[in-house]
Amino acid sequence: MNALALSVLPRPMRLLQRYDDGEDARHFTFQLEDIRAEDAGMMPGQFFMLVLPGCGEAPFTYVSRPDDQGRFSALIRRMGKLTEALFELQPGEVLGYRGPFGQGWPRFYGKQRILAVAGGCGLAPLAGFIEDVARTRSGTHLQVIYGARHVGARVLSRERARWSGALPLIETLDQAGPGHRQGTPLAHFDTVFGQAPPDAVLCCGPEVLMEAAARECLGRGLRADQIWLSVERRMHCGVGLCGHCYVGDSYACRDGPTYRYDRYRELLRRSGCARELDRGELRHC
Amino acid sequence: MNAYELNSVEALRAHLAADRRLYEPRPDGQGGLHWQTVAADDAQAFEPGLEPPPFSAKAFFFPEREAMFRFERGRFVAVEPEPEAFTLFGLRACDLTAIAYQDRFFARDGHYQARREAALLVGMDCAASCTGGFCAALGSGPAVGDGLADLVLIPGASWRLLVNTAAGRAAVSGLDLKPAPRDWTRAREQTRQQAAAEQGDAAPLLAGIAALNAGRVPPQTWEALGPRCLGCSGCTSVCPTCSCFAPLDLPTDGGLRRERVWDSCLYEGFQKEASGHNGSPSPGDRVRRYWFHKFGDGFKREFGRYGCVGCGRCDRVCPGGIGARVVLKRLGGA
Amino acid sequence: MIEVVPSICSYCGVGCGLGLRVQGDRIIGVEPQSGHPVSQGQLCAKGWSTSFAVDPAQRLVHPLIKERGAFREAGWDETLDLVAEKFREALADGGPTAVGVISCARATNEDNYAAQKFARAVLKTHNIDHCARICHSPSVAGLARTLGSGAMTNGIVDIDLADLILVIGADVTENHAMIGARILRAQDRGAKLIVVDPRKTRLARLADWHLQLRLGTNIALINGLLHIIFAQGWEARDFLDRRCADADALRRHVAGIALDEVVALTGVPEDQLRAVAHAYSHAKAAFLAYGMGITQFQSGTNNVIAVSNLALSCGQIGRPGTGINPLRGQNNVQGACDMGCLPNVFPGYQDVADPAHAAKFTQAWNTSLPTAPGLTSLGMTKAALAGDFRALMILGEDPVLTDPDQNHVARSLAALDFLVVVETAMTETAKLADVVLPAAAFAEKDGSFTNCERRVQRVRRAVPPPGEARTDWQILGALAQRLGQPGLRWPDAEAIFDEMVGLSPMFSAMSYAKLDRHHGLQWPCDGEHPEGSPLLHAERFPLGKARLLPVSQVAPAEVPDADYPFAFTTHRLHFHYGCGSMTRRSPLLERETPTGLLFMHPDDGRGMGLREGQGVRVSSRRGVLETRVHLTDDVPAGTVAMPYHFKEAPCNRLTNDAQDPSTKMPELKACAVAVTALPPGQAPRRLEFDEPAHERL
Repeated sequence: MNALALSVLPRPMRLLQRYDDGEDARHFTFQLEDIRAEDAGMMPGQFFMLVLPGCGEAPFTYVSRPDDQGRFSALIRRMGKLTEALFELQPGEVLGYRGPFGQGWPRFYGKQRILAVAGGCGLAPLAGFIEDVARTRSGTHLQVIYGARHVGARVLSRERARWSGALPLIETLDQAGPGHRQGTPLAHFDTVFGQAPPDAVLCCGPEVLMEAAARECLGRGLRADQIWLSVERRMHCGVGLCGHCYVGDSYACRDGPTYRYDRYRELLRRSGCARELDRGELRHC
Repeated sequence: MNAYELNSVEALRAHLAADRRLYEPRPDGQGGLHWQTVAADDAQAFEPGLEPPPFSAKAFFFPEREAMFRFERGRFVAVEPEPEAFTLFGLRACDLTAIAYQDRFFARDGHYQARREAALLVGMDCAASCTGGFCAALGSGPAVGDGLADLVLIPGASWRLLVNTAAGRAAVSGLDLKPAPRDWTRAREQTRQQAAAEQGDAAPLLAGIAALNAGRVPPQTWEALGPRCLGCSGCTSVCPTCSCFAPLDLPTDGGLRRERVWDSCLYEGFQKEASGHNGSPSPGDRVRRYWFHKFGDGFKREFGRYGCVGCGRCDRVCPGGIGARVVLKRLGGA
Repeated sequence: MIEVVPSICSYCGVGCGLGLRVQGDRIIGVEPQSGHPVSQGQLCAKGWSTSFAVDPAQRLVHPLIKERGAFREAGWDETLDLVAEKFREALADGGPTAVGVISCARATNEDNYAAQKFARAVLKTHNIDHCARICHSPSVAGLARTLGSGAMTNGIVDIDLADLILVIGADVTENHAMIGARILRAQDRGAKLIVVDPRKTRLARLADWHLQLRLGTNIALINGLLHIIFAQGWEARDFLDRRCADADALRRHVAGIALDEVVALTGVPEDQLRAVAHAYSHAKAAFLAYGMGITQFQSGTNNVIAVSNLALSCGQIGRPGTGINPLRGQNNVQGACDMGCLPNVFPGYQDVADPAHAAKFTQAWNTSLPTAPGLTSLGMTKAALAGDFRALMILGEDPVLTDPDQNHVARSLAALDFLVVVETAMTETAKLADVVLPAAAFAEKDGSFTNCERRVQRVRRAVPPPGEARTDWQILGALAQRLGQPGLRWPDAEAIFDEMVGLSPMFSAMSYAKLDRHHGLQWPCDGEHPEGSPLLHAERFPLGKARLLPVSQVAPAEVPDADYPFAFTTHRLHFHYGCGSMTRRSPLLERETPTGLLFMHPDDGRGMGLREGQGVRVSSRRGVLETRVHLTDDVPAGTVAMPYHFKEAPCNRLTNDAQDPSTKMPELKACAVAVTALPPGQAPRRLEFDEPAHERL
């Protein structure tokens, strides 16, 4: 079998444990049965295909990368048939795994200032990146703004508790009660940019939020090539063949899901969405 | 590349069919024209007619339904294709161009390549244009391009045969072939020009492609085309370069079989995510996306040519009357 | 190795040609047939997805016998013995009026011929019916009264010859897509297109005129048009004189109609009425097509008569490019009628009450035949509820999902002593059966289908049936043998067709060989028309002179009120068919629409604070269901609509079974419902039958 054949054949993995982690969301730990060298090389922001026999497969991002036992975790929200069936599974059951796929977040070296903007479940694709910075103390200055609809909608509670001791984490809610910040992540850009503008911004969340955050950054003097987004698409093959995840003439599973904002805009412009872009509407092509 | 006189196409066909299964487009008497098996002793004359078969040769390499793996007792088991050797006899230039395009697209797909390696391609120049074809405008016909087929049939006062590849040479070994006179290329070029001229002025079509890539197509044009797309999947099914697929899990005794099945980007659900979010929510968005995939310069950069080979099948199969020729003219303002 | 077997699409009544792509024992796809006269090398989404519908992976492959509430697999002999015994008991207990057969508008002519012969010659009952009852029985009845024959008067090819096309109550691009495509092509070459529909269908949006009438006001609208036509002297006087009787009654009737009342009732502005009246009456050739937006009303037969009045008054019939053309729903609903799967006629529409016909069939079948009139399918279910009906065989239909007032249907099937269902896949109805028999699908048998333009076409066996599945006629033959009647043991499908041809004058010049040569033949095909009849009524009508019968507007039996404030109608989607038992097996078609939708105008949605996709509870006086709302101006404010394909949201739990008095056609197109929002984020549930249906009352 060639490399591609290997990457389209699922590997078995077991569901080890799961716990509720946000509204209609659960944190799952899986264990790969046979471990390969490339497993530990996964980059935060990449994704894997979860195969649920009889229900098809769907892409999810890693919260933690596979360890030397093949264990890794993922945050999954109940959305459709596959996730509903997944939520019913008991620990010990066998599923399929393919990955890692796609392009992760860029690597940063040295004393750079990074801003991570996350909304809702969009915190999950950023989790690995935040975790790495929080753990390695590489000198990178990372600031995180996390927005959710309300207190109960927040995900990754254990991770957030850990990070808040290690790096500046601003949490904000659409519907805030006493003791919580109110507003979208954008409402706190003054605070963040007031200290010093970041060298790079990573965004993940609803596309409306990402587009608004990117525009806000441009308005505050950042260049488009300092901004990265992680887009969501329907994906089936993960290797740029099945066609579902196109963004213009690129495939999000192969060339994304992480796109640098200037390249993302160029993709949309090239595929006939220029007018929507100019009007500030976020539509995909 | 060697050119020979071919006294009898049928004798060549019989020779090839003796070694491996041979398919040729044949009418079925009920309005259909399909790739059908022709036995070595088949006496029927080779009469290709003007029209290509409505279904391209794509499915020989990328079948509409294909098993990829089985899941049994907690294990995933790959299903590998085991294709028998076969010959496609009488492939048109457009379809050969499409095969070359898909060779590139599926370069790392084991299933595609296994089938592809099992095939001997016998091409055929078109002596005259089919109705609705515009291969000349897109550089994919009416004569078979260099290196696209193992063997090429050249029509004329008498048939000639080009032997292009080692596989082609091996396939015709044992046949008594006499070299063609030196001027065979001139006659071939004349036929090509004549057939190309029958397709009419390419300018309105090229203007459409130019408008598309220059971002000169107003959104209203796509929104007007949208309701004429019934989402039938006909265009993507007959298009010789369309390659999108979806997974299908089918239960088997004690497990399941995963197939990949042809999909169509004109379906509303093609990009719809579990959350309900859809990257191309309106019919006009989907029609635009489809034609960008065929004529977008970005894809041309990646695959060396446009995804459309000008075979005209989408114009024939579209219930809403918005195939490539119609759409390009509209985009170009004609 | 791939082989391509030419056949006919098994979905709707258009009858497109397709080539079945066969690999081993499986159909993996289809190819279009460029030279087919109906489809001309095109197909709709359903046709393209045929391979999934017939996939053996999800088929019934063994006979099933229910014991203690659960099915077990059983052999054919054991199962057929059981079915024969149960029918014998039912006959002994209740007599021949207490048993019956509901045949299948999707099965072949040969299967349907066998089904009616089984009912009549074996069970000795005329209790034989099929689903035409709920689609086009008013067409048959209405056109029988005005013309004398109730099928499409012209062919599909006539669309190419028309300079005006009038579509009433039919969503043609979605349900009869290749006819819709042909209409769009006609418009491209300059023909005018008029659509009359309460919904903004795709065709309505593309039409030159869309008359968006209020639900259930067809007769008012047509009478309004006729009022204008006669008042202006636009009627076809010569045609009326030569070809029609008694035009004066209609003339007087429509003269008495006040146009402003028509405008008020229908909601269609007067200038639109005038423009359309002018265009239709002045067209050189106007092709009129209609669908269930005409027939599925308690006034269904009168609606058809009104349509007929319009065409006759303008002389738009009997010529190429014209005609009164009911678009039939299922691939062989025309054939099931033609074959006599109706309680009142033998094959070829030969009246069972006519002693000469009865004598002919008695002699040919060499057995005594019943004299008591038969029951319709709804008659049978009502008799079952009343305790007067014992045993029923249902072939390939799913009335639990597709018939009105679902709770009623389920209760009546439960009231039977014995129910046997012959099906290709497990359906909601089959789940209620005592015995389920596995049937061969269309690609697994030889036979013929008759499309909506009366074209009888051959289908061919491309693959063997999966497992132990058999054709309907083989099952019926083996059962008949057990019940003492050997006359249903045919060697092959062609023998059945030949028997049918020999007994039915309207088919007398047909044979399989001839069907092959001609891409099918349109009936009547007899000594007088050896090549079939593309055009009916060119010289004379079956009645001699056609009749113009004055009819008056009848409101739907149930209209919106304070308790149930929305008008409710049902429709179909391009991607699905019937109860979804075939289309929903395609991963691509299934992906298109999430388990049912309620279509609602955005203004109504705003008024109720609903968001796109939010869960809603829909209730009528008969039942309740939950589904998701789709906000769209496809429907006018005040009217909501649901497709009927989804067992998760079975809209026929809501519909009304008020009936057309002459045909018993239930009023599926109009009733009244209430809609309440589910809390945001709460998914609709699949409600079981016994949930309280009348909570608002």
